[in-house]
Amino acid sequence: MADIEIEIDGNVVNAKAGEMLIAVTDREGISVPRFCYHKKLSIAANCRMCLVDVEGAPKPQPACSTPIADGMKIHTQNEKAKASQKAVMEFLLINHPLDCPICDQGGECELQDVAMDYGSDVSRFTEGKRIVADSDIGALIQTDMTRCIHCTRCVRFGAEVAGIMEMGGTGRGEDMKIEPFLEEGIQSELSGNMIDVCPVGALTSKPFRYELRSWQMNAVSNIARHDLVGSSIYTQTYKGKVKRIVAKDNESVNETWISDRDRFSYEGLSHENRLLAPQIKVEGKWQEVEWNVALDFALRGLANNVFNARQADQLGALASNTATLEEFHLLQKILREVGSENIDHRLNIKDLNNAISLESNIKLAGLEGVDHALVIGSNLRLEQPMISHRLRKANLSGASVDVINAMAFDFNYRLNSENIIPPHQTAATLAGVLKSVLQSAQAEIPEYLSDIEVSDVATQLANKLSDSDNSVIVLGEHVINNPQASSIANLINEIAQQTNSTTLNLSASGNSTAANLSCFVPGKGGLDVNAMLAADLKAYILLDVYPQYDFHNSVQAVESLSNDDTFVISLNSFKDDAVAQYSNVLLPIASFYETSGSHVNVEGKVQSFSAAVNAPSDAKPAWKVLKVLADLLELPGFHYADSTQVTTEVMHQSHKQHVHDESIDVKVKRGINIIWQKSPYAVDVLSRHAASLQATKIGQINSASMNKATAKKLEVTQDDKYLGVPVVVSESVANNCVFVNSNHSTGGQS
Amino acid sequence: MNEVCFKNLDQKDPWSLKTYEANGGYSVWRKILKGELTPEQIIDELKTSGLRGRGGAGFPTGLKWSFMPRNADMQKYVVCNSDEGEPGTCKDRDILRYNPHSVIEGMAIGGFVMNATKGYNYIRGEFMEPFYRFEDALKEAYAAGLLGENLDGSSVSFDLYAHLGAGAYICGEETALLESLEGKKGQPRFKPPFPANIGLFGMPTTINNTESFASVPDILANGGQWFADIGVENSGGCKLFSVTGHVNEPANFEVPMGLPFKDLLEMAGGIREGRTLKAVIPGGSSTPVLTAEAAMAMTMDYDGIEKAGSMLGAGSVIIMDDSTCMVETLTRLAHFYYDESCGQCTPCREGTGWLYRVLKRIMDGNGKADDIDLLMGVQDKIMGNTICALGDAAAMPVESFLRCFREEFEYYIEHGKSMVKG
Amino acid sequence: MISTKAKKQIDAWVAKYPEGRQSSAVMEALKIVQAENDNSLTSDSIQAVADYLDMPGIAAAEVATFYENYNHKPVGKYTIRFCHNISCMLNGADDLIAHLEKKIGVKTGDVTPDGLVNVKKVECLGACVGAPMFQIGDQYYENLTADKIDEIVDGLK
Repeated sequence: MADIEIEIDGNVVNAKAGEMLIAVTDREGISVPRFCYHKKLSIAANCRMCLVDVEGAPKPQPACSTPIADGMKIHTQNEKAKASQKAVMEFLLINHPLDCPICDQGGECELQDVAMDYGSDVSRFTEGKRIVADSDIGALIQTDMTRCIHCTRCVRFGAEVAGIMEMGGTGRGEDMKIEPFLEEGIQSELSGNMIDVCPVGALTSKPFRYELRSWQMNAVSNIARHDLVGSSIYTQTYKGKVKRIVAKDNESVNETWISDRDRFSYEGLSHENRLLAPQIKVEGKWQEVEWNVALDFALRGLANNVFNARQADQLGALASNTATLEEFHLLQKILREVGSENIDHRLNIKDLNNAISLESNIKLAGLEGVDHALVIGSNLRLEQPMISHRLRKANLSGASVDVINAMAFDFNYRLNSENIIPPHQTAATLAGVLKSVLQSAQAEIPEYLSDIEVSDVATQLANKLSDSDNSVIVLGEHVINNPQASSIANLINEIAQQTNSTTLNLSASGNSTAANLSCFVPGKGGLDVNAMLAADLKAYILLDVYPQYDFHNSVQAVESLSNDDTFVISLNSFKDDAVAQYSNVLLPIASFYETSGSHVNVEGKVQSFSAAVNAPSDAKPAWKVLKVLADLLELPGFHYADSTQVTTEVMHQSHKQHVHDESIDVKVKRGINIIWQKSPYAVDVLSRHAASLQATKIGQINSASMNKATAKKLEVTQDDKYLGVPVVVSESVANNCVFVNSNHSTGGQS
Repeated sequence: MNEVCFKNLDQKDPWSLKTYEANGGYSVWRKILKGELTPEQIIDELKTSGLRGRGGAGFPTGLKWSFMPRNADMQKYVVCNSDEGEPGTCKDRDILRYNPHSVIEGMAIGGFVMNATKGYNYIRGEFMEPFYRFEDALKEAYAAGLLGENLDGSSVSFDLYAHLGAGAYICGEETALLESLEGKKGQPRFKPPFPANIGLFGMPTTINNTESFASVPDILANGGQWFADIGVENSGGCKLFSVTGHVNEPANFEVPMGLPFKDLLEMAGGIREGRTLKAVIPGGSSTPVLTAEAAMAMTMDYDGIEKAGSMLGAGSVIIMDDSTCMVETLTRLAHFYYDESCGQCTPCREGTGWLYRVLKRIMDGNGKADDIDLLMGVQDKIMGNTICALGDAAAMPVESFLRCFREEFEYYIEHGKSMVKG
Repeated sequence: MISTKAKKQIDAWVAKYPEGRQSSAVMEALKIVQAENDNSLTSDSIQAVADYLDMPGIAAAEVATFYENYNHKPVGKYTIRFCHNISCMLNGADDLIAHLEKKIGVKTGDVTPDGLVNVKKVECLGACVGAPMFQIGDQYYENLTADKIDEIVDGLK
């Protein structure tokens, strides 16, 4: 596109030929009112609010859909433009209720704002106003469709971004009604963005309803920590409480969208289960105590069980994947300073000798530009919504996507192929792909591939990767406990190198990239989590661990931690019965948005945030608790004034290269394989306590899916429970596989 | 009279292939299949003929066809707009019923000129008799090897399908028609992009009215000049006028452009006994109403009608005698646009309802002195501010009725009853 | 929800459009399914059409509620679609509609108790030279008079 000159309101402006006028005025800071236009959605040109006067055009032209041409002279403020804008404003207001005082959008309403500039204070409309009946569209979005101005942003958002057209405009003319078709309401995992795009009070946040006016709140820039993306958000607070979360533009991370999980999890912050005071267990009874008493008690426990006997290797530290980079760092530093390498965050891995090691070497924004993707073991949409969105964009611009999964999932775009393969054949299938790639390249076939038969599927998958210029292989969460997990990762690495593909490792969750960055893994001579539990260590420091959700085998974990002679110091943000059972000291810590720290996303981007609110009652940010603990232990090097000094220290520490087993085992294993996964809204303690999220359909996913043949082998039917989870018999699951999506604790099964 | 689209009207089975061919039908198409006509020649003839779009907008057909990127390497479409629904218009229905092959041949020629190998005829959903006639004609044409692939061994292919609407006036707007043809609500698209670049299914598309297509074969058979000579300057050829309302013999007449209105009125049997002409809407309900005086001085061509203060539109001449209450008539028209507004863009969605409600209130005897100013203000705010022409179509009758017959509205507001009907 | 016969009819329409553009047939598919189900549509039948044509339910619902020719509540076996637009109005449509309402004993919008007939006022049907007129099923009836209406209505079984 050529650079051209146009004239706007008498000023010469440079722009690209064919750009829409509104993009130019926005860039130049020239205010043109609009309602239907949204930079991330297709152009609708239906509100007509952005009409401007273009010299030579007989009628006023909408800035949103007028491509500019060299020499064009535009007037955004002259009499003709103003007359059109005022006319449209009058039409928009005739049927819009003047209920601003009771409307949740009041104060942040685009209609209200524009009406201040273009509206008239007296209405000439004396007929009855339109009233629209509302429908209940679910737990997250409140509708007030009488206020709808039919801009169709929500409709376009659904069709274009969420990828499922849920809202639509039914009826016609004045009776057109924006509504969903199905009574079950809105199902999308990105639905809350409709609230952000709605220019008026037609779609507002249901949990936030009637709470506050926007101007009463402080908006604090923050990072959502529920997934591997770390979306930018604003936490809006009032009197020390997070009241609402909205998306913040961050083009390279989350563009302008956030997932519902990021938007609504804050509700959990005020849940009654919050741990509010330090407690110590004396003779089996819990007592609330002052911080100094609790810390003193903790120190004595450590002294008795570990230090007095000079048995530092009897101390272990475990953390959940939601901790901040700084928290991971401080806890591992304490352990290493006292002489223990027993450090781990990979609580959900069955066999850490078989752990996945695969780098991510593509940027999130880069995902949009791939021409092919092979996704292995992931229900991307619900697990990593914003990454799924990027890949969908790539798909819509022509990229093909192949999938290898143990079960068919809803992808909101058309897949090139969906291969439903039992988990114990995943490695063999990928081995086939690798062999096919090598054969096509006439490269040497390594010994371990000699017995592999290359199936048609493998050939097709291989060809697609070889033929693409910019392909990515995405490894998902379902593979973490595959008996050949490490081989699968190594095969992917090989295939990627051979086909010049990038890789994206989505097998971990939350802030696990930060855990790895801060070396929150066992060092030389240290034990991994499973080894620690098997060794019945004498003392632990646990950081926001909830055993029934976090451990691969929670029964064994709780049993081991509950040993009479094991002293457990637990830092938790929420109360938990199992934690209470095995712990000796409970230290209440801040949850999301109550502490400063950093999230490291899957592309390695470190995003720091400050606390939006204080932790409730006596709870303290974990980094401060850990620092004080270190001070009390008289450890050197913990003189931090704030968390950013910790961040700087982590970023300057040399990162130990993790050595991993590169061996590849491609034999097909027999038996039934269980993939156990937390439901999308049960991934972390905060989401689990967010009532509205839990009330959604996604929040209620709780099923052990298997096909008929597998059900027969396991002797269960549709009405039974398997491992405590309701059985769903479906042929969409691969044979000899049970796919469990559980929204409650695992009960130690897997 | 009845020289082109209606020339076989009085013959036996006028709709049959046999009758059509007996009148020289498909001779142009066969010439094309033999390679004896080039797209350029056809466009030149059409430009010479002065044929302008018969659907209402009056855009020169030859020029329109020349806009298509005929060499673009993608599927291109020709679409016929048989979604006739402008109140007062019923000419395309008769073309489809009595001369469907002229539409088929016209579309096929268009397909050849624009290198579009597929065509759709969008017929309004209520036109079942015309639809069946058209479908039968398609069968005949396919059977005779006039439609299909590599016709007569040539490289020319043309497949044609009939599509049915489902009841929405707005689908007569060409981009709404395309949306509808894609199985969506008939909501007009904003332009640019124009259908010639991004049309049906995202491909280059040209849409013409039924009568325009039906006129093409005869124009090419007899030469563009022949057609131009039938009409007057700037309005080539003959045109179908639907004369309805308060006349003795309402009917469709295919007459030369430039015919004096009074002659047309006479052809329709004149005004009913004992009545006098009061008003005329010359081009369908969307065009401004004219007083009897203005109408009687008018000639029936684009410029003639414009000079009189209205538009030729689709050639739908609605005659009103002195028994007509103009308040009632405008209210009915306002209701029509209110009912048919697609709801997409603000001024039309909100404004048409407002106009209707104010008029209805006047009819109910609750008019207010400033209602006329209000109506004028509202129509003026719709005018020119909408995506498609329906907004203007709703505004123009209001403006013209109030301008030409203001006293009737003032009377109704003041007395709460009709000046004409009491 | 959709009979085999109806599916065949829908398939014939689908065949008119390019591959992947089967939703172009939605308007006819809805009519076909409506005709099979007492001349009206329900959310279920709309969803069934959407599923059959592999399009979102709401997209089919948009179409079903945008166009006039779909019914969303029970109608009579015969719907008399009476034009009341300008040319018909000028030729006495309003009086004739009143006559028809009296004749069948129910107002516009209501169905006769025997479920046979209902009247719907519609906008221009494009037969203005035959005004006043109405439509029943596929058939247009033009140049109507009170007597002619009586005769037509009496013939409905």
